[in-house]
Amino acid sequence: MVDPANTKLDRMLLDQISPAVMVLRTPLVEDSCRRNDLSLIEMLAPYSTFNNIDVPVRTASDQPYRLRKFKLRLFYNSDIRQRSAEAAKERLKQVITHAGDKNISELCSRQAEIESVITTAAQELVPSWFQNFNKELIDAAAFSEHEAFDHPVACLVAVSSKDKDPIGKFVDLFNTTQLPHLLNDGSMDPKILKYYLLVHDNQEGMLEKATGILAEMRRTFGASDCRLLCINSSVNGTEEYQQNSWASHKNSASNEKQFGCFLNKDDIEELRNTMHDFSSKHIIPHMELKIRVLNQQVSATRKGFRNQIKNLWWRKGKDDVPENPSAPMYTFNSTESQIRVLGDYAFMLRDYELALSNYRLISTDYKLDKALKHYAGVQEMMGLAYFMLDQSRKDAEYCMENAFTTYAKIGSSCGRNVTRCGIWWAEMLKARDQYKDAAGVYFRISGEEPLNSAVMLEQAAYCFLMSTPAMLRKYGFHLVLSGDLYRKCDQIKHAVRTYRGALSVFKGTAWSHIRDHVHFHIGKWYAILGMFDEGIKHVLEVLACGHQAKLTQELFLREFFQIIQETGKTFEVLRLQLPVINFPSIEVVFEDHRTYASPAAANVEESLWQALEEEMTPSVAGLKSNWLELQSKILPKKYKESNVCIAGEAIKVAVSFRNPLQIPISVSNVSLICKHSTECDKSEPASNGSLDEEKNDKGLRTVAVTGETSADASLFDLSEVNISMQGGETVLVQLTVTPKVEGTLKLVGVRWKLSGSVIGICNFQSDVVRKKVAKGKIKRKKSLKDNLEFLVIKSVPRLEGTIHSLPQTVYTGDLRCLTMELRNPSKTPVKNLKMKISHPRFLDIADQEVMNLEFPTFLKKQTISSRSCTTLDASKTAKTVFLFPKDIASSWQTPVKWPLWFRAAASGSISLYITIYYETEDVSSIIKYRTLRIHYNVEVLPSLEVSYRISPSPSRLHEFLVRMDATNKTSSENFQVHQLSCVGDQWELALLQPIGSDLSLGFLMAGQSLSCFFRLKNCKTRGSTEDKMSSLAKGIADVRLVDSESSGLFDTSVSPFDLFHHHERLHQERHGQGDDGNTVDFILIAESQDDSDTGPPRTTPEILSHYACHCRIGSSSPVWWSMDGPRSVRHDFSSGFCEINLNMTVYNSLEDAVSVRINTLDSLPRSNSITNTASVSGYEHGWHDTSHLTDAKVTPDSMGGRVGKALSPESVSPFIWSGTCSTRFNLEPLSSAEVPLQISVFCQGTFDLSNYSLQWNLLSGDRGDDGNESRVRSGSCHGRPYHITVLQKNKAEI
Amino acid sequence: MASTACFMIVSKNDIPIYEAEVGTVPKKEDAAHQHQFILHAALDIVQDTAWTTSAMFLKSIDRFNDLVVSVYVTAGHTRLMLLHDSRNDDGIKSFFQEVHELYIKTLLNPLYLPGSRVTSSHFDTKVRALARKYL
Repeated sequence: MVDPANTKLDRMLLDQISPAVMVLRTPLVEDSCRRNDLSLIEMLAPYSTFNNIDVPVRTASDQPYRLRKFKLRLFYNSDIRQRSAEAAKERLKQVITHAGDKNISELCSRQAEIESVITTAAQELVPSWFQNFNKELIDAAAFSEHEAFDHPVACLVAVSSKDKDPIGKFVDLFNTTQLPHLLNDGSMDPKILKYYLLVHDNQEGMLEKATGILAEMRRTFGASDCRLLCINSSVNGTEEYQQNSWASHKNSASNEKQFGCFLNKDDIEELRNTMHDFSSKHIIPHMELKIRVLNQQVSATRKGFRNQIKNLWWRKGKDDVPENPSAPMYTFNSTESQIRVLGDYAFMLRDYELALSNYRLISTDYKLDKALKHYAGVQEMMGLAYFMLDQSRKDAEYCMENAFTTYAKIGSSCGRNVTRCGIWWAEMLKARDQYKDAAGVYFRISGEEPLNSAVMLEQAAYCFLMSTPAMLRKYGFHLVLSGDLYRKCDQIKHAVRTYRGALSVFKGTAWSHIRDHVHFHIGKWYAILGMFDEGIKHVLEVLACGHQAKLTQELFLREFFQIIQETGKTFEVLRLQLPVINFPSIEVVFEDHRTYASPAAANVEESLWQALEEEMTPSVAGLKSNWLELQSKILPKKYKESNVCIAGEAIKVAVSFRNPLQIPISVSNVSLICKHSTECDKSEPASNGSLDEEKNDKGLRTVAVTGETSADASLFDLSEVNISMQGGETVLVQLTVTPKVEGTLKLVGVRWKLSGSVIGICNFQSDVVRKKVAKGKIKRKKSLKDNLEFLVIKSVPRLEGTIHSLPQTVYTGDLRCLTMELRNPSKTPVKNLKMKISHPRFLDIADQEVMNLEFPTFLKKQTISSRSCTTLDASKTAKTVFLFPKDIASSWQTPVKWPLWFRAAASGSISLYITIYYETEDVSSIIKYRTLRIHYNVEVLPSLEVSYRISPSPSRLHEFLVRMDATNKTSSENFQVHQLSCVGDQWELALLQPIGSDLSLGFLMAGQSLSCFFRLKNCKTRGSTEDKMSSLAKGIADVRLVDSESSGLFDTSVSPFDLFHHHERLHQERHGQGDDGNTVDFILIAESQDDSDTGPPRTTPEILSHYACHCRIGSSSPVWWSMDGPRSVRHDFSSGFCEINLNMTVYNSLEDAVSVRINTLDSLPRSNSITNTASVSGYEHGWHDTSHLTDAKVTPDSMGGRVGKALSPESVSPFIWSGTCSTRFNLEPLSSAEVPLQISVFCQGTFDLSNYSLQWNLLSGDRGDDGNESRVRSGSCHGRPYHITVLQKNKAEI
Repeated sequence: MASTACFMIVSKNDIPIYEAEVGTVPKKEDAAHQHQFILHAALDIVQDTAWTTSAMFLKSIDRFNDLVVSVYVTAGHTRLMLLHDSRNDDGIKSFFQEVHELYIKTLLNPLYLPGSRVTSSHFDTKVRALARKYL
């Protein structure tokens, strides 16, 4: 526990509650003192405070103790009255303004971190002027009639030795008319101790005269009460002191003049002695005496049981006496006043126990009398006495609180007392480390008066800071509250100071409203003070306040621009928050040896292009051994690491700006900041790189300024963009810089002008680089520092290429002829052109002569004979890189056009990548070759869905039935199916039924579907001798599906059909199990039908081609057979069983001889049905059933069902195979053989003759292994259903 | 229902993760920062009070003029703070308990990162409905 005698409160009490002395003086005394620039009181003040006076005192009960600290308060008679409200206010204001002016220099100093704030000693942090302020507040409450400690204990009468009739003056001075009202209105005893002081100025007169007067005085007023004081002994007035004791007392004056310059050591010694004598010999004994007298009186009237009863009785009777507001309630000779005086005197002499007992005694009286002010005053003193006694802490607090609330209850008249009481209370709590409670008290003191409240709140804030644990948030909050009040009183410096303190707490807080409020206001106030830089710095913090309401955003922005306007210049702000730059989305696109035809192409991932270009560009190995060596000789190492760009070609930077506000903003003059250095001054960029951050920023500013001048204009061109952004909008700005001269170009940052007044600068290097790693388009292998540095080399030719009229949206199968155009704007020719296309299935290169032909007419067959059996040029299709002819490459005067075939092979969104490689003729250039990358996106919609099913014809051996199902999947488009073709020599295709004239067979409306049946014939069955002839006769591989004869058939064996057929075959290959001659490829060609209602009429009919490759013909086995025989037989079973002869024709479709065995089974084992269905499912592979309207006889699953049905449990087979159960024979390649079979039927009925099997295996022994291991060498097939009906022959019919 | 009420959820890192003005008086612009200030300062008190009791509902712990701050501290030291001018302890307690339940549900969402802002509109409507019901 802190000793109360050493606390701050003790010092305060010593200052405030100590004997008051009224000083009366003549004007001449004042004049003498003025020589020292001091008044009489000021001159005496330093010597009226005693730290160790060491005077023996006795308590009322004769207990001796020694008084250590003592102080006299000196007042002129005119000052002994309560100050008027205005005067008090004015004084407070002065103190604060003065303090504010002193602190101005600190306002711009660096912001202290909150951690350091906590650790710094509280004394350093709390402004020292608080004490003065508090003192002023307390002084304002002084000289109240309800308290006795302000009543003068003694009167010091000072007369100058120069005065005429000094004795008379002494009497005159103590004239009742000049005395303060306290003495006049009877609230204090007019009989007062007087002390007569003769002041002699050594400069003006002789000492003898003064001593003479003193002798006279002693005779008149008594020997002990008079004294002579000689001052101004110093002759020249140049006395100086090590520590000037007046300076600390006289706080308001300036220091320029030396106080007390005429006072020499003797004078000072005399001053000290005078005051010591006055206090120890006169005042203290006088007070001691008075205490005794009063104590006796009080004991007589109030102590003891009888007196108490009497007192109570008397008090009750007094209740109805009306209170006279004008006159003091208690005169000096009333008992209450005497007790109060007794208490106060005891308190001043530090006899706290006596004081306390008296206060307690009187407290109840005042309470009963409802003299609230007196009551509160006494309670206050009780609290202080408790504190000084260091007794019950609770009681002390209780008393203070009681006093505080009572004062507060009385109302505005006691406002000062409330404040004083509160300050004492708070000090008391602070002395006991109850900072939190102290803060509460300070908070309660703050009332209507804004200035007082501001200071009190600030003190409360510091209390929160000093409490343990430190309550930083409370600290910040109260500082803000106090700052607002300071602002209200126009004490902006103080407001800024408090907010700065608060900022140390709120810096970087996630509480957005708080942060915005503090930053915005402090910024505004800085601007009022004229410190625009600081102001703008803070207002900038709140500009990107997307979370605020629209009104607030407008307010912030308006204020910001106002500040900017006041500065009177266009302000450059680094890292302006408005608009916000989305750093990860910044993209830099530049072209070195890679060039892009469109921005979309630049956005494609680099690896994709690299994969595509792999075959064309010089190989990596060669590059390493030759290129790098060469390059390292030519170029310094530094440049090897930087990116290469070409003079005259723009570097594009896409910067995305986001407006975080809800209000529109306009941004103008957005441009890049670049630094260009020619190769000769190589040291410059290197030194620039080593600059530290701050310096770099400065450098940036200068660059930004010079960027406007024409000096840099010759080195590079910058594009400028103006945008206006709606609230919340994000705008992607394309900025370009075009270097003109070789050298090094560095992208430093981006600058823009906000609303035409503020220039925002964003430095890429400092903020961006780290973030750029993820998304930047710049080469990854390079260090990021060099990311934005470019080596500018002299210009090389750059090809431009486009594909004309490439549709955005097409239907599947759409076939078009497109033109690619390549231009070379530069004069320098290029050579070695190569091209590669990523999806040859969609886009392929056509022959150049196609350009001159009319599409699609030239694809139609002219005559049958003109058709040539061209096989695909295998080398052409296998090689995916297309080499342009040399002659084209050398003559680049006019743009060159080259045709391309386009076919929408599959539906979906297709990205087509085309890359064109070319070499420059210029050998000296760093870049040997370049590639042009073209990228297109095509949306392919589904059009027709076509499926085919092929099944062997039940009746003919070499024929198949083809069922084509086509469905129009579009919603609006109509298609005319034009023709169906099958690819290959050995096939013949024909419609099952000829098209009737009334039937528009191939027309498909949207959503409609169509089924067609065809007959497919394998011509290869004929003998090899016939082959040539039949191939000539062929031409029926195409079937026209439109009835109009006018439109000719398309020739599917020429480009582009065969080209795309090749690609489709490759693409669809994985579905089939190999090509063993049993598959057919179909091409369906349709034309889109013009719908006159929608869209402009097309100039050329659109051709759609649909490919279906590897369609299996209906047998999995290479060995085909068919059963011939009667379908129905009538037989008279009475004459025995019926024998039926059948004939089986077996054909070997393979190129090798096979051995075939036919097994007939008389009974079907149950397990057979399972294997049967199993084989069925294998048989079904690769097929899909589009409907169930198929021919029941040929469906495999219906066959399985029939087999199952035939298995009735009771049955003995109703027929048996006669003859051998196994027949074996050999078949030559592509030849057939006939095998006779016979069955015997025992009863009538319909029988399914499928219970036989056919086994085959290759006779490849003589040929040896031809390396085709995957080929099926043997197999077995189950019999196909063959139904025969046997009926009882009716005799009557015969 | 209270004429002024500001509800806020503060994460254990003292970052506001949800705020709502749930009073009947239309929100004033300048009040927003004042409410934040009061609630923010009250965190200092919460810090002291929270460890002195085992109860989650800390009742009114702080006041500023006629505005009272009631706080509910969850087990994870997320603080539900309500600034209000009415005295309805029972209602406030129920309100806090139900919001706590809602908050736990939010926490259970695997896509919600604890300590991040609660942006669910469903949460918001529920909280406002609860405020109408209890405050």
